[in-house]
Amino acid sequence: MMDALAGYQSILDLILLNCGLALSQYVVLRAGVFSVATPALASVGAYAAGIAALRLGVGAVTGLLIAAEAGTVMGLLLSLPLARLRGVFQAIATVALVQIVLSLALYATDLTGGANGLNGIPKLVGTPGLLLVIAAIVYVLGSLGRSRIGHAFDAIRQDETVAVTLGISAVSHQALAFALSGAIAGLTGGLMAYHNHSVVPEEFGFNMLVTVLAYVVLGGRRSVLGPIAGATILTLLPELARPLAENRLIVHGAILMIVITYLPHGIVDTFLIARRRRMTAAARTQDLNEAANGRA
Amino acid sequence: MIAQQLLNALVVGSVYALFALGFTLIFGVHHILNLAHGAVFMWGAFVGLYAVTLLHAPFIVALLVACILAGLLSVALDWIAFRPLRRRGAPEFSAIITSIGAGLILMNIAQRVSQTRVMRYPFGTFPIEVYTVFGLRVTLLQLVIVGSVALIVAALFAYIFYTGFGRQIRAVAINERTASLLGVSPGRVYFQTFFISGALAGAAGVLIGIAFNSVHFLMGEPYMLRAFVVIVLGGLGSIGGAVIAGLLLGLIQTMTIAYVSTDLSDAVLFSLLFLILLVRPTGFFGTLRMERRVTRA
Repeated sequence: MMDALAGYQSILDLILLNCGLALSQYVVLRAGVFSVATPALASVGAYAAGIAALRLGVGAVTGLLIAAEAGTVMGLLLSLPLARLRGVFQAIATVALVQIVLSLALYATDLTGGANGLNGIPKLVGTPGLLLVIAAIVYVLGSLGRSRIGHAFDAIRQDETVAVTLGISAVSHQALAFALSGAIAGLTGGLMAYHNHSVVPEEFGFNMLVTVLAYVVLGGRRSVLGPIAGATILTLLPELARPLAENRLIVHGAILMIVITYLPHGIVDTFLIARRRRMTAAARTQDLNEAANGRA
Repeated sequence: MIAQQLLNALVVGSVYALFALGFTLIFGVHHILNLAHGAVFMWGAFVGLYAVTLLHAPFIVALLVACILAGLLSVALDWIAFRPLRRRGAPEFSAIITSIGAGLILMNIAQRVSQTRVMRYPFGTFPIEVYTVFGLRVTLLQLVIVGSVALIVAALFAYIFYTGFGRQIRAVAINERTASLLGVSPGRVYFQTFFISGALAGAAGVLIGIAFNSVHFLMGEPYMLRAFVVIVLGGLGSIGGAVIAGLLLGLIQTMTIAYVSTDLSDAVLFSLLFLILLVRPTGFFGTLRMERRVTRA
């Protein structure tokens, strides 16, 4: 009984960590930036938190703040050059960044432990801590998404030219999205370091980039629930059946291809759009009925 | 010593150029960033290897078979992954995602087929002969690699710039709708560009596989990432640029490994890519009318 519960707990932890990464990727995509820098930002956060805990002996809260800070600074710095690029070029530049961070992490052995990574980090975060941090991120992103800023993000994503003519500054909003994405990725990286006892450089490579992108494509880029649904489904799928785990890449690949072709908004956003359409249709018939009754 | 390094750089660079040519051709003509190109390359290497080990085909036959099958694989990729998106008028974001998905599927199949092993060519597939020219050690394999790349590139140039089919491809590159109004069938052009691109990737896969004598399901990824450097340096969609940039990349990488550090070679390459994107996103040899700020749908 306890074993079964412990098994579920580790899956829950994994889902929470993946949700953090998915949310970081979601922020930039929602703002219409085709950046895939999340693994690089998470890597910076993980190393910052890990080194802080190992060398300075800081506690969980301080360590996570340092990680979030490192991610934010990195995201803001990244936003400066990327403001000059669009679309495919942003994607290529951030793929390059992921490779640069990965190879520097492997090279700077004194600081990062090279290919062995950082080991022996004290376990500072458990499931409640993960839940708390991810819930806080979801709350902040959710309220931000319903505010003026969220609408500005949507406008820029749908048509940057129109957004700019409406007086929305694409550059500053995208810088904000980068900073948020960096903070979330940094935090998640820190959580990974404190949860897994270690930082493995290869973990933050091209594989993570593709997986995180799959979470957001499957879930959707508009609602904050999208990346959470995507990360949960794709983390749970391999656990459900052995063949799914052995062919994880085929499952991911097929989901990417089918969803982007036939459900380009992702499952959550498609559902929300359909629901809103039904509700407005219902409201309209009600109005019509009332108008008809009033005249009668 | 330095001459020997330059020779190595030429060999490595010419294979980079061959790989990147197919990649840049599809982007230049159809504006699709085909991230499954690395997987097609890997399958080319697989086909070449299996033709030699299972069918005992001579090397040159294996190379041809790999070219043709990789070309057909690439065409199938277009039909399954990109054509449904074109019908729906999807934005460029979608094409990148679907090509990543297709690449993952191809890699997973290769992993199952090869059982995650690193495979090698049997000894004696390619005669080991070493010549000494002006004090340089040149192997027959190196000569064949550089020679066949030169031949393929020349054939590609002739095809694109001196034949009627090539003219159709260039017309579609400039404007697909106008070209189809003028009687060019876009479907045939898609078939040709994807076939050529896949065949180039297949040739590159076989040559890389025999040069390093190692074939495995993950071999496409590092080349895919390096191809980014090549095509950005050469200008996305520029064919001549890809050749020059491929050779340059071989030079930079060989020199970094020889005189700086093996571990830093990736950091140097990708920092270079980042810098070029900042300074001159259209590359240094860009010729096709490329927009620096690609419109986002």
